[in-house]
Amino acid sequence: MDHAIETDRLTCRYGRTRAVDELTLHAPAGSIYALLGPNGAGKTTTLKTLLNLRSPASGTARVLGVDSRALGPADLARIGYVSENQHIPSNLTIGEIEAFCRPWYPTWDAALANELRERFGLDPRARIKALSRGTRLKVQCLLALAPRPRLLILDEPFSGLDPVVRDDLTTGVLSLADRDGWSVLLTSHEMDDVERLADHVGFLAGGRLIVEEPMESLLARFRRVEVAMPDGAAVPTQRPANWLGFSVDGRAARFVESQASADAEAAWRAAFPGATIAAHPMSLRDVFVALTRSMAPLASGAAR
Amino acid sequence: MLPFSIALRPGEPVVDQVVYAVTWAVVSGQLRAGDRFPSVRALSQELKVNPNTAQRIVALLVEAGLLAVEPGIGTVVTAHQPGAGASTAAARRADLTELRNRLAEPLVVEARRIGVSLADLVEMVRAQWKSLDAAPRAAPRGAEPRE
Repeated sequence: MDHAIETDRLTCRYGRTRAVDELTLHAPAGSIYALLGPNGAGKTTTLKTLLNLRSPASGTARVLGVDSRALGPADLARIGYVSENQHIPSNLTIGEIEAFCRPWYPTWDAALANELRERFGLDPRARIKALSRGTRLKVQCLLALAPRPRLLILDEPFSGLDPVVRDDLTTGVLSLADRDGWSVLLTSHEMDDVERLADHVGFLAGGRLIVEEPMESLLARFRRVEVAMPDGAAVPTQRPANWLGFSVDGRAARFVESQASADAEAAWRAAFPGATIAAHPMSLRDVFVALTRSMAPLASGAAR
Repeated sequence: MLPFSIALRPGEPVVDQVVYAVTWAVVSGQLRAGDRFPSVRALSQELKVNPNTAQRIVALLVEAGLLAVEPGIGTVVTAHQPGAGASTAAARRADLTELRNRLAEPLVVEARRIGVSLADLVEMVRAQWKSLDAAPRAAPRGAEPRE
């Protein structure tokens, strides 16, 4: 199995709306894959379909080698899922909910559960309904991690949490990492966390996958370019499609190069003769903004 | 806890940042020959970075001659010989070219842009050189010491 998750022209509808539109995605086994995209891009619907919580209108999804519609209890026991909208019985204590979940998972690791409970500062006697949102997410994380899943699916695990809780959750997730074939699929808007954690990125917009490639090559091909034009120079009217968000202010021109290379640099110089040109690397956050603002079709080397 | 100082900044490759921080720590004496270096797993958890990234960092530092994998012990800091990473004369020449083109040239360009004299620039480099010998407990530029 080369891919922990693969979908083939996966399509999901809400009535007449296509929430997910012919999505073909490949998350390599052993990777931490971040599915990014603006609100309403179809991320949560995709995750729910992968877990067989929804049925696709057409297309297929395979999770750990199994068709999503055929996922049974034994398969789901190998998948950890954390979502903000998950229901957990609020009248139980943390200890009770652990005891409730444990028999369902043959691979439940009690030592790991203890370690996580300590690291997260969870009191087993505390009732779920008395917990803050952050603490509740820690409980969900504990329940998802203790069975040492082969695949972890995290839907917005960090949203609205303070940095200390985010750090704790991240360390918890990474504490599983010594297992071979262990994979993570996550959605998040916390771009600085994602930039460090994920090694593969899928960018979803309007239900479609715009970009899918390793983090490293994505960050390597995006550059913020600043041009100081000489007096009286003309602004080029024909601009390559890989220049995003082009703007001019007096003698300064700015754009985002989405296919940085030696050839691309030669093209900048040809377009702005005699200008001073500086190119800066971009954070994942800035790449996300540039991609979201310009939904121009982008050919990605790694996308299939 | 990590035995070197680093504060990761978004937008710069994590691998480059960590390799630089460790190199700084070795060159300044903050890390000494025989010191234990964190495992890939510990590095990943402390820095909150992808385990594959942590793996690459260690591999690059081993390749550069700063770390060595000792069977049964783990990864340790080597008795660093300046220039040890460059095993051949050609590799040494490549390192020098890199130093001149990627580091020295931008330094000179920036100095001329803001109007720093050659003598002042040389003095700045001299002071920086000495500060590494004098202050093994200091932190590299941009890094806050970690708890």
